[in-house]
Amino acid sequence: MRSKSLAVFLAWCVAGACADAQDLPASLAKSAFDKVSPAVCVVNYSSEVTNPSNGRKSRRNTRALGLLVSPAGLVMAHGHMQVEDSEPFSIKVSVGEGDAEKEYDAKLLKKPEDVNICFVQIENAPGVTFPFLKFAQQDLALGEPLLILGLLGDTLDFNRSVIVRRVGSILEKPRTTYCLDERLLFGYVGGPAVNARGEAVGVVGFDLSSSEGGDLYVRSGHPLVYQTELFAKYIETPPTTTETATDTDGAFLGVFTQPLTDDLAEYWGLPQDGGVVVGTIIPGSPADVAGLKMGDIVTRFNDVPVKAKLDREVLAFTKLVREAGAGATVPLRVLREGESLDLNVTLTERPKSARDAGEFEDTVFGLTVRELTTDVRILLNLPADVQGVIVRSVKSGSWADLAELGPGVIILNFGGQPIASLDDFKAAAEKTAQEKPGEVAVFCRVGARSGFFRIQPRWENGTAAP
Amino acid sequence: MKRMFALSVACVLLATGCVTTGSGMQRAVTRAKDKVSPALVHIRPVKEVFSGGKREEISVVGSGFIISPDGYVVTNEHVAGESTLVRCVLSNKEEVDAEVIGTDRYTDLALLKLVTDSKDLPSIHFAPPGKVEAGQVVLALGSPHGLARSVSMGIVSVTDRYLGDREEMVSPYNTWIQTDAAINPGNSGGPLVNLKGDVVGVNARRLGGADNVGFAIPAATAIHVIDQLREKGRVQRSWLGLTVQETTSKTDDPNQKGVVIADVDPLSPATDAGVRPGDILLSVNGKPTDARYVEDLPDVRRLMADLPVGSQVKLQIARGNEQIEIPLTTVERDDLTGEEVEFPEWGFTATDLTPTIIRRAQLASNQGVYISGTQVGSVAANSGLVESDVVLMFDGAVVENLKAFREMYAQRVESKQRLILLQVKRGALTRFVLVKQEESTEAQTELPQQDGGVQDEE
Repeated sequence: MRSKSLAVFLAWCVAGACADAQDLPASLAKSAFDKVSPAVCVVNYSSEVTNPSNGRKSRRNTRALGLLVSPAGLVMAHGHMQVEDSEPFSIKVSVGEGDAEKEYDAKLLKKPEDVNICFVQIENAPGVTFPFLKFAQQDLALGEPLLILGLLGDTLDFNRSVIVRRVGSILEKPRTTYCLDERLLFGYVGGPAVNARGEAVGVVGFDLSSSEGGDLYVRSGHPLVYQTELFAKYIETPPTTTETATDTDGAFLGVFTQPLTDDLAEYWGLPQDGGVVVGTIIPGSPADVAGLKMGDIVTRFNDVPVKAKLDREVLAFTKLVREAGAGATVPLRVLREGESLDLNVTLTERPKSARDAGEFEDTVFGLTVRELTTDVRILLNLPADVQGVIVRSVKSGSWADLAELGPGVIILNFGGQPIASLDDFKAAAEKTAQEKPGEVAVFCRVGARSGFFRIQPRWENGTAAP
Repeated sequence: MKRMFALSVACVLLATGCVTTGSGMQRAVTRAKDKVSPALVHIRPVKEVFSGGKREEISVVGSGFIISPDGYVVTNEHVAGESTLVRCVLSNKEEVDAEVIGTDRYTDLALLKLVTDSKDLPSIHFAPPGKVEAGQVVLALGSPHGLARSVSMGIVSVTDRYLGDREEMVSPYNTWIQTDAAINPGNSGGPLVNLKGDVVGVNARRLGGADNVGFAIPAATAIHVIDQLREKGRVQRSWLGLTVQETTSKTDDPNQKGVVIADVDPLSPATDAGVRPGDILLSVNGKPTDARYVEDLPDVRRLMADLPVGSQVKLQIARGNEQIEIPLTTVERDDLTGEEVEFPEWGFTATDLTPTIIRRAQLASNQGVYISGTQVGSVAANSGLVESDVVLMFDGAVVENLKAFREMYAQRVESKQRLILLQVKRGALTRFVLVKQEESTEAQTELPQQDGGVQDEE
């Protein structure tokens, strides 16, 4: 009874919206809704959030809009489901509405690097064929109306809902991005966008991945359409699970660049054709090995002209590098002091980022450490000769806490044993736990300076941290 | 109900307190106050401050005291430092200007000389160093919140409080006298005196958010620094490039002598001589450098700082199980912060590099200038220069120091060259910043024209 009145209500809503969007007939909105909404599901999960400043963990239950994209139960959700310092677990996907509603266990797959979408795979549903949504790859036009499907809140039983938005703006660079004309309530984030022909042309969200200039979009606050082409490959070949993932996304050159603005070109007496100016070169990176120098201007990469004049146009170059493939040797044309110079560079796999960094939790001393990755080294401006592990969190009341070790401290030496890797730390911590010394001198780096912390274990109270 | 009871108990206690301290105490307090008050100075300097990429002058209020009949006045560096004018109000309400003889940021002390021909000004003296003890009654005199001629009373809470560094609030060479005599903003530079009316400390800090936790620079430190300021106008210190830590940071072993070397600055005599973090420094020129607790660290640092600049010294070092002797030559310690200058045409401020900045920015050399601020909408900000950038190159030339930078800058401003290329270090990254000189002047002239356009339409 309730759902019938709701359907009437929804139909009314759609009709109301269509009065505005005259080129979107109500009947079409209704049929699109009927077609798409069965694929809309609710992803319920718990999330463990680590406060990076004190390492305290807290848990909360939350949910996201899910979208079934394969009959085998592959579900797409917005990327905010898994972010730095927040790990989802106990994931359940609720499919169908009212009496037909059914909940399934699900596991999180590895989050893609190039689009801010999470994938979840329903488990333990043998023989079930799920309703799913097929996406079409379509360009959108300025002002074009789109139906966005979403969920009402939990107090309204997550009833499916539909709203109409228009393409409010189209950004052409670094690649076509569609911005919607109005803000969205949370329940629509990750929801499908359906055009007037009833085709699902993408999902809506707020930030593309950081490699696509995510920050720029988040700061603008405008919702975007993530077009089908951004994620179709992951529906075709779903990512592996997080646990078994190997990081092979994209190739690595090892430079930080800025666009060759017309002013810079004028200053250097160069044609105002754009390009990327090499600033920092990561020591030992492919760029370093190939002999790239600060101030070089890359004008061609892998036989593709590089013509960046604006900050966001540099992203196209970043993408070229990433897509060239690790291990590939590619030609590179640079301008050095006005002269054109051809180089070959052999790209490598991208170094591990903090997100994929290995962690080790030591329950004896009560701290979790993480290996030092290239991105963290750059963020902290660490000289190349600093080797160690970085403290990620310290259990409050533990021996490490009493020694005033805190997150962000880099451990260089633990009890006289130099630490250059996570394995070194593991070995040092285990050795110390076996030898049970009365005190452990820990040599660390805090900010730009180094110094000692002294851990005073109380072994007689047992080996577990208090 | 319960609360009222508690309050009434407190009243009783306070009343009995007065009875037990007796009238002898009252007389002693009055006598001390009467002795000190005439030498008290209310100080109103106009200070140069750099903020948001601009140089500004602000007026502040502090306290001080006359230490000689010819008008030398002691106050805090943070009161009178970087001042362009120091106006003083004496206890008889007479206004007298003062000249800054010298300042020392490391101890937060300054010495002023009143501009007067008078040779018989009321003055007070420092108490013999080391004669202060916890529990001793003390008075704090000065201008809390600008209220001149104020006296507050308390006791010495702790005689040797160690305060760690907080950004530019450092005190490497002294511990502090902690007192519960009320110290408020404006008390800075005023005397903390015993009941004889002799100065045991120079009030300088308080703990924000706490009740009556104030700190004074001990007389011993003040005497040592003031003497040098009077003689040379500054305090010269040696620098080795060592950061020291108490031995208990490494081990609780009471037999552990010396001091732990926690850090060695790159580009320092100690690095050149091969001193390593983790070494234990046992002595300098045969003088022991024992520091078991943090409170012992200032003495060790002072021992090193007081070595003659440029002298050959011998460090006795324990490294693992061996003892080694390392000779090195000291250099002069730089001021805590570099000279700061405003560049008004481009709208930013910059300072010379200091070892701290060099360390923080991980610079490979001591060449460059540090951008301490940029003005919103200025040429510098519009060109993408940001605070804490270190400018390494200027139109392809190495920037040796602030002086060299000023010369290149002045030349470009004069020549109106349209584009100037800077190479800057920002965190771990190095990048180019192209300064467009004419842009903002155009913008400035365009704006009134636009206004004119609106008027035309009317």
